[in-house]
Amino acid sequence: MSDKYRLKNWQELPFGGVITEGGNAADYETGTWRTWRPVWKEENCIHCLTCWVFCPENAFALKDGKTPGGKDRKEIREIDYFYCKGCGLCAKECPVNKKGKKEAVEFIREET
Amino acid sequence: MPKNVAITGNGAMAEAMRQINPDVVAAFPITPSTQVIEDFAKFVNDGKVDTELITVESEHSAMSACIGASAAGGRVMTATSSNGMALMWEMLYIAASMRQPVLMTLVNRAMSAPINIHCDHGDSMGARDAGWIQIYAENHQEAYDNMIMAPVIGENMDVRLPVMVCMDGFLISHSVETMQIEDDQQVSEFVGEKVPLNSLFDTDKPVSWGALDLQDYYIEHRRGQLEAMYKAKSVIEDVSKRFAEQFGRKYDLFESYRLEDAERVIVAINSVAGELKEVVDELREQGEKVGLLKIRVFRPFPYEDISKALEGCKIVTVMDRSTSMGAYGPLFGEISNALYNLEDRPLLYNRTYGLGGREMLLDDLKDVFQESKDYLNNGKVEKIFDFLKVRGA
Repeated sequence: MSDKYRLKNWQELPFGGVITEGGNAADYETGTWRTWRPVWKEENCIHCLTCWVFCPENAFALKDGKTPGGKDRKEIREIDYFYCKGCGLCAKECPVNKKGKKEAVEFIREET
Repeated sequence: MPKNVAITGNGAMAEAMRQINPDVVAAFPITPSTQVIEDFAKFVNDGKVDTELITVESEHSAMSACIGASAAGGRVMTATSSNGMALMWEMLYIAASMRQPVLMTLVNRAMSAPINIHCDHGDSMGARDAGWIQIYAENHQEAYDNMIMAPVIGENMDVRLPVMVCMDGFLISHSVETMQIEDDQQVSEFVGEKVPLNSLFDTDKPVSWGALDLQDYYIEHRRGQLEAMYKAKSVIEDVSKRFAEQFGRKYDLFESYRLEDAERVIVAINSVAGELKEVVDELREQGEKVGLLKIRVFRPFPYEDISKALEGCKIVTVMDRSTSMGAYGPLFGEISNALYNLEDRPLLYNRTYGLGGREMLLDDLKDVFQESKDYLNNGKVEKIFDFLKVRGA
């Protein structure tokens, strides 16, 4: 683990809990909160990006891809478990899951 | 030039504020502290200070405005009493935890109900865990002197904590006493300029104040805050020393009055100490070995120093001017903590007095010393805790 993500001792903290850098929520590992885990099933995914829209922690990483018709689009690449806190919104909102025949995001107990 | 003036305690605090010339004052009136801001508002109106005076709609807003202005880098002051400070409650903690050296004149007044505008220490004692430095004053001069020292203490880079300068409502705030107001220029030099820290106005270095901590960081921030309190102790000593060099009046964390060979000691806070000194002098003339320990700095509480000062005495009466319902008095608790580890502990007991402004006359205080004499003669304390001067006792 890099020093950036190391939990600091009290002597190292700025006074009064002030945050001196912008955008440093990106350094925070919300993944430690997870007790349930979404698992992305690429073979069932239609890349509608609903999960990416709903994810409160920006845990869905994207890549460039093509529609079946050959147009440029963004596609899901992976779930970033550094950020995924296991809230399950992705699995709940996934339109493939909603149809009930198969799952593009499986939601399972985190193994301990 | 320094000048001797006859002035009320509130007037003296307003003078201190004028000389400190804060960037922002946000306040809401409440008896008995109102006159502090009334007088100060005149200074603002007359152009004697550069202060932005914000007349807010409540004390909660007053403290909120103080915190915001302080986080923006300003030197910030306010004044309040009793229920007014109670309405600031959550913001008191936030000022301290955000390490904003807000400066407050707290004119001690009893908490409602019943509504009572007179003095006791229920307000500031209730706020003792909020993280503010608390400095108490026996009289006008001490209150003024404490306030001149307050910015230098609170804004010290090792401290950065808010400071509450307390004095007794009406007994000090509204009575007129002769005291010395120091030279404007000298005070101005003594208090210096506040050095901003992570100022909200520093647009080259933007910061966020008041963010969230979870289980993984809150306790570390609290530990850092505690360290500031620990360091505040020696900073208060240093600043008091510098103050004595410059203005000639010497202050310690507490005052030891005829303690050296004292067998019977009263520990007390604020204006009653003036009367107690009279009584101690009178009893000393009659050959009684009595003394007074007057608390000046209640937060941080100087446990070890007090334990050393009281070592060797035989009986200690702690006089609390507030009550923690269902517990012994707050000052008694601290003194008891300070003395526990002494090998040869004095007898110790607690008397609550003066709630809601009930007067303590010299004869009443002689009675307190008489009781301690009886206890000492009998070798035991009969009543650890009691109210003084309550009808029906």
